[in-house]
Amino acid sequence: MAYLTLSNISKQFVDTYAVQDFNLDVEKGEFVSFLGPSGCGKTTTLRMVAGFENPTTGKITLDNSDITNKAPNQRNVGMVFQSYALFPNMTVAQNIGFGLRVRREKESAIKDRVKEMLSIINLESRGDSFPYQLSGGQQQRVALARALAIRPQVLLLDEPLSALDAKIRVALRAEIRSIQQRLGITTIYVTHDQEEALSLSDRIVVMNVGVIEQVGTPFQIYNFPETAFVASFVGTLNTGTAEVLDPAKGLLDLDGVQLASADDLNSRQKGDKVRMAIRPERFSFVSEEKKANVIDCKIENITFLGSIVRIQVIIGKTKFYMDTFNNPFLELPKIGDQTQITCSREAVLVLGDAPELGN
Amino acid sequence: MNLLTRLHKMPFWSWLWFILGALYFLLPLLATFEFSISWDPADPLKAYTRVFADKDFWETFMYSNLLAVATILVNVILIVPTAYWIRLRVPEARRLVEFITLLPFVVPAIILVFGLIGVYSSPFKVPFTELTFLEPLTTFKFGTNILIVAGYMVLAMPYMYRSVDTGMRTVDVRTLTEAAQSLGANWFTIITRVILPNVRAALLSGALLTFAIVVGEVTLASFLGVDAFGPYLFLLGQHRAYEPAALSFFSFLLTWVAMGLIQLFTGGQGQAAGAH
Repeated sequence: MAYLTLSNISKQFVDTYAVQDFNLDVEKGEFVSFLGPSGCGKTTTLRMVAGFENPTTGKITLDNSDITNKAPNQRNVGMVFQSYALFPNMTVAQNIGFGLRVRREKESAIKDRVKEMLSIINLESRGDSFPYQLSGGQQQRVALARALAIRPQVLLLDEPLSALDAKIRVALRAEIRSIQQRLGITTIYVTHDQEEALSLSDRIVVMNVGVIEQVGTPFQIYNFPETAFVASFVGTLNTGTAEVLDPAKGLLDLDGVQLASADDLNSRQKGDKVRMAIRPERFSFVSEEKKANVIDCKIENITFLGSIVRIQVIIGKTKFYMDTFNNPFLELPKIGDQTQITCSREAVLVLGDAPELGN
Repeated sequence: MNLLTRLHKMPFWSWLWFILGALYFLLPLLATFEFSISWDPADPLKAYTRVFADKDFWETFMYSNLLAVATILVNVILIVPTAYWIRLRVPEARRLVEFITLLPFVVPAIILVFGLIGVYSSPFKVPFTELTFLEPLTTFKFGTNILIVAGYMVLAMPYMYRSVDTGMRTVDVRTLTEAAQSLGANWFTIITRVILPNVRAALLSGALLTFAIVVGEVTLASFLGVDAFGPYLFLLGQHRAYEPAALSFFSFLLTWVAMGLIQLFTGGQGQAAGAH
């Protein structure tokens, strides 16, 4: 049995469901991220694990023990908040030792543990500082140390990097992952930042309007999205409506342009309208290499983004983006040029039925 | 930038309004002090010596101080958890509670005291029997003390509640509570070790205002017939000239000392809360 299990969890607020039929098994030592837009239910789910919200239905077990109705202070779950939530009246050392004092551990043991945690977060010299004397990044490291000091069975992080600037965010997320791996602590991380989720997690749970859209490794989530929402939420995605030409051969027609897909189309009929998608980085110029799909297109716009160049092309009547690495020696086409681009069969994803047009 | 540089940079009009404001507050105080030392040019502190030598002064003053401490303690016990719970669990009740806390401004102390006397001057009987389970509170000293502290609690409620509520607004009460809970703390630990220390400055401000109200209060004390400092001051003012002035100046000094103590005990908290 998994270390942490959420079975059929739902949470209803008045007449709306914030979370519906949520099922997840988390293994010991695993780093799982809940990823989704605002209001998708990821924080509510995390708060139910912490005990701050009670599920309307369902069961939460931790290490074979049912914790569904346990009070938050009896769960042995550490939590790190977006706003740090350090106690302003206490020093860094007192903050870290708070949970241990509440547990009435020996003063010498508390002192040793605080010292150990300060060394883990590289703030050995700041034990006597007050939170207001620290930077945002340092405060969040203290919050992490405080949550870890009590040796929690699960560590919960609720968008812990959102209040920090970009550079510190990147540095701190690497630090969080490194500490998590070193201590082998089971971790649930809530974020709406796909880059954070992709770079940190063993597995990602993508959520939308209270339900799980897909659970998988970052590689699976990015490369093999199972729903249109996952495909559009994670990474940049070109989407269009295509007609099935030959289900057996996986052939599609996009505004008169024939595309071959590796996805299984056997359940569909010739003439069915489907929603298809291609990631921008899966395209390349025919002049560089030739893949299964060779597509005529017109260059609409070129945007320089530093390490990559984003080119907008028109395929049939649909505007698509194509990303190519910034190579100073690459000769880029000009706006208005007619050219040929290519992509593999695997790059052409079929996400489901095309949405019907409104009247 | 140090204080002197900042003062030098203050424009003329700011200085003018500051000086006018200071004069408005300081001149009456100065006049009171000047009057209090003019009784006997040979002994300028005669009024002070007389007042401090009066047994009644010390008795009423100490009694009022005790009433003030009791009022502050009970108010803290009642108001801090209430304000905390409203912020944490029932924010929709805030307007109603704010309205209730403002009622002492529209219900005068005279109405309050007659209400208290009306209700608590008869014995409490077990319903449908002639058995008395509580004698009238106005007939014994401890009962009257309970009544007067309860009355003072009501009078001081707007100041104490608003101070505490404002203090709680400066810290993220909900997240701090959840952080403490996740670390294993129970409600008592959360309130005493996390919430109270972080609203210390607000609490002391509320306590100072309560103290000032209780020590000088006349209406409740007079009608409940207790020998408090307010009625003593009132009587003294009717029969003497210099001693009341000396006492007024002494009261001001006492308030300043209290304010100084607040600054001393809460030093740095503003910074901490601000940073949060």
